[in-house]
Amino acid sequence: MLSGAKPGSGHYEEFLAHPALLMLRAWRECGDFAEFDLGGMRNVLVVEPDGLEAVFRAPDEQLSAAEAYQYMVPIFGEGIQYGAPLALEREQVKMQATALRPERMKGYARIIAQEVEDFVAGWGAAGERDIHHEFKELVLHTSTHCLLGSEFRAKLSEEFGVLLHDLELAVSASSVVDAHGQEEVFARRDRARARLAGLVTAVIQERRRSQESHPDMLQVFMEVEYLDGRKLSDDEIVGMVIWIMFAGFHTSSNTATWTAVELARHPALAAPVAREIDTLYAGAGTLSFAALREIPLLERFVLEVMRLHPPLVTLMRRVKSDFQVGEQRIPAGHTIAISPYVTHRNPAWFAEPERFDPERPLPEHVFAYIPFGAGRRKCVGNAFAMLQVKAIFCALLRRYDFKGVDPPESYRDVMPSLILQVSEPCRLRYQRRA
Amino acid sequence: MPAALPAAGLSVRVRVDLELCQGHALCREEAPEVFDVLERPGAYDQVKLLDEHPPEALRAKVEAAVRHCPNRVIRVEPAG
Repeated sequence: MLSGAKPGSGHYEEFLAHPALLMLRAWRECGDFAEFDLGGMRNVLVVEPDGLEAVFRAPDEQLSAAEAYQYMVPIFGEGIQYGAPLALEREQVKMQATALRPERMKGYARIIAQEVEDFVAGWGAAGERDIHHEFKELVLHTSTHCLLGSEFRAKLSEEFGVLLHDLELAVSASSVVDAHGQEEVFARRDRARARLAGLVTAVIQERRRSQESHPDMLQVFMEVEYLDGRKLSDDEIVGMVIWIMFAGFHTSSNTATWTAVELARHPALAAPVAREIDTLYAGAGTLSFAALREIPLLERFVLEVMRLHPPLVTLMRRVKSDFQVGEQRIPAGHTIAISPYVTHRNPAWFAEPERFDPERPLPEHVFAYIPFGAGRRKCVGNAFAMLQVKAIFCALLRRYDFKGVDPPESYRDVMPSLILQVSEPCRLRYQRRA
Repeated sequence: MPAALPAAGLSVRVRVDLELCQGHALCREEAPEVFDVLERPGAYDQVKLLDEHPPEALRAKVEAAVRHCPNRVIRVEPAG
């Protein structure tokens, strides 16, 4: 057991303050399979890729994601994802994957490119901006447009972002332990969800009236059927929309923010990426075309950003029946914690792990690098996320160089929720490239 | 990055890890001669290997499929 447990609460307070740092300490002190205690909830941290492979390949019946993630149910809704029986949840994930199929990506690329171009059009020759604030707004534009269509996007107000923020605050370290405890935060979450449901339902009903078809994800959810031929109810569609929006919004905007910060901190590494984009534009012509192409240096750069700053701090599984990993037996009732933040700092797989180095090769072991998770529950939006971040930086790096406003070390990983962010304010200076 | 592919001219064997495949179908976009993706009701679509020993002429396409697979489920080994 990790040192520093307090009677009753265990490591709970330390987990609240900074979950990733607690788990990093646990691994450094105890090695793989470190145990820590969140107010009686016994956690075992799996770090090494062989163990992760066993965990990610295990069936849901043995290692349950649903039981570990019950705190997501009030956000997405009863009957959706972990609020639905396993077989139904599988069908719903498949529907999400259908909405993100590669043949639909070209359409999304056009939408994203247009939004990004519109967004940077007003940036002028030089300036200073809170880049996290900017990217939250931009990703809100791109994702609502791809998800809910142009009519919703046209009416998008600041309210939508505020509602999502209220949902995010309920996904905190304390929710993991007590899914019902924090009354005020949860009351805000429930109001936000009800309001979001109203906004999305209005779009669904308008579409039913108009009988028009749209090239967005909402249309997929309105048309898709379960195996038994039943269509999604309006409530379920709302849940699917909030689910995919929630999965893609904070993760992409934070990754874009950290990418901009690392570009600003490493001008010598940023220069070849900018040149690569110049060459790409010379061949591809338009942003939507460019963002769909292979952009090896930019992609390597973003992969390294996600190594050091993976958006999801911890993934969890509840052990339903004793689970054997190599020599280790993890008893039923324990929770397996997986932290990409810790796994990505393992010097056995990443030499000098704290050094930002986009030229380092990805480990041969598929489970040593897990920014999107892995296995059957791996994020199905990973291609969409890459497309989005590539489009943003194609447009920006073609135009601008970035520089930090504050000292490089003042940009830090913080975790007000279980989603990793850059410390605020996150100010960067930009200047039109010579 | 995936393992270095066998040198040009050597015959290869393609393997896919079906347990990790989520049917993103990017392999089929790159090399439809080698990969198809089958619909599976109620579960992720899944890759179907059409040609386990693709000819040298398809090497570039297969290499692109390996690179593009979001789940890194495609492996190319020397045929043995």
